[in-house]
Amino acid sequence: MSDPRSPAAVVEVGDGAAIPVRSDRGLFTAWRIAFVGAIGTLAALALFKPDPYLAILRFVPDGILVTFEVTLGAIALALAIGLVAGLGRISPNRLINGCASLYVEVIRGIPLLVQIFYIYYALGRIVKVPPLTSAIVAMAVCYGAYIGEVVRAGIQSIPKGQTEAAHALGMTRGQALLHVILPQAFRVILPPIGNEFIALLKDSSLVSIIAVADLLRRGREFASESFAYFETYTVIALVYLVITLFFSKLIGLVEERLHAGR
Amino acid sequence: MNRIIRITPKLIVTIFAFALSAASGPAGAAGKSYTVATDATWPPMEMVDANKQIVGFDIDYLTAAAKEADISVTFKNTAWDGIFAGIEAGQYDIIASSVTITDERKKKYDFSAPYIDIGQILVVPKAEAAATLAGMKGKNVGAQIGTTGAFEIKKSEGVALKTYDEIGLAFEDMAAGRIAGVVCDEPTAVQFALQKTEYKEKFKIVGAPFTTEAYGFVVQKGNTALVELLNKGIAAVKAKKQDEQLRAKWLR
Repeated sequence: MSDPRSPAAVVEVGDGAAIPVRSDRGLFTAWRIAFVGAIGTLAALALFKPDPYLAILRFVPDGILVTFEVTLGAIALALAIGLVAGLGRISPNRLINGCASLYVEVIRGIPLLVQIFYIYYALGRIVKVPPLTSAIVAMAVCYGAYIGEVVRAGIQSIPKGQTEAAHALGMTRGQALLHVILPQAFRVILPPIGNEFIALLKDSSLVSIIAVADLLRRGREFASESFAYFETYTVIALVYLVITLFFSKLIGLVEERLHAGR
Repeated sequence: MNRIIRITPKLIVTIFAFALSAASGPAGAAGKSYTVATDATWPPMEMVDANKQIVGFDIDYLTAAAKEADISVTFKNTAWDGIFAGIEAGQYDIIASSVTITDERKKKYDFSAPYIDIGQILVVPKAEAAATLAGMKGKNVGAQIGTTGAFEIKKSEGVALKTYDEIGLAFEDMAAGRIAGVVCDEPTAVQFALQKTEYKEKFKIVGAPFTTEAYGFVVQKGNTALVELLNKGIAAVKAKKQDEQLRAKWLR
């Protein structure tokens, strides 16, 4: 195990896309080749082989919108849950700590696909929630646990001396956390949170099993009627790639800005 | 560590005997063994029983027809969504999964002769007043993805289609009150709406089937030899009136 206080300990080897690093400049970076290549391929296919490629591209946009809704709704909720869970995990209060730890252990031990099925079909018998809400809640509950661990590791990575110094200045525990620890931890946890976001975006395709008409579901509906499986999944893969590359760039830029302000 | 498989002379003899029997089959298409894909989530046509065996009307029918045509078949449970892509890719030789013969499908795949006629039917909660699918305007109606039931809902103006990977999930969603109806093949509708105790209290079948469709076995485009074998088998099954026995066994 590496030293839990070193920032390197929180950089998880996640499922995230190739998040550009700062040295990654120049015209032919992997990111540019992939991004321009994917958009170019999509445009060329639609232009030169409109049947079925243009038809597929016309069929899926409302699915892209649903994928965005699920992803953005889930990440917002997951960040809130994750912050609470992460703080709970480092709480000296044994009840709070126990609850947060139990949540993280249980959720991390159940596959997301099973959770989505469970929240929709099993709990659907007790509380009636629309498919989209159910999808967002399922994704958020799952990723809240992962983000909780990122938050915990981020806070623990800040040297203890910082808290001691804050106490020496007469700050309470809460004040020290809010004014000294969290602002520093934020910089540390941002990259892994970015990874989680990209992973969540891709995992959102799992919600297509509960009749949420997301990008993948729309593609499957098109393929099931036209039997154009190869063409449809080519388009679906490229559209996902464009979206994830776009967001990974955005996250990279935010990170760069934070580092610049250092 | 204990041995898991002990290599005995008996085992070697068994393996050789098996290899020989596999190699010494008659030449040509007859006598050959074929893999059959079926989505065993569509009772009573194809389903998995308590012993994890794939059973149902289609299974018995194809097995009987294969026997008549002197070929052997092994069934493989395959998800419906993508079942056609699999035959295109040559992952199996035949689909026996309540496949309706449609013009669109005929363009891409070859079909055997029809072996049974079936219709689509609407299932709704008991309180629903609509008497037809067209009467479900403004409501969500569910079907399995890529089925003729889904295509019928899509054709009905103003009715919103919700697609599911398995028809059971659509019925479950209706039981939870999230959709107003389900469209599927009549035998399957009967199985879910009238035989499953929990659904029996909640659901009713609306009228009679509103389409007439013929099921066929699907093979790769151009595999006429296999189509001929299947047709020979189907004709023999019909001539011997075995199909009527199967109807009595599986269908109400």
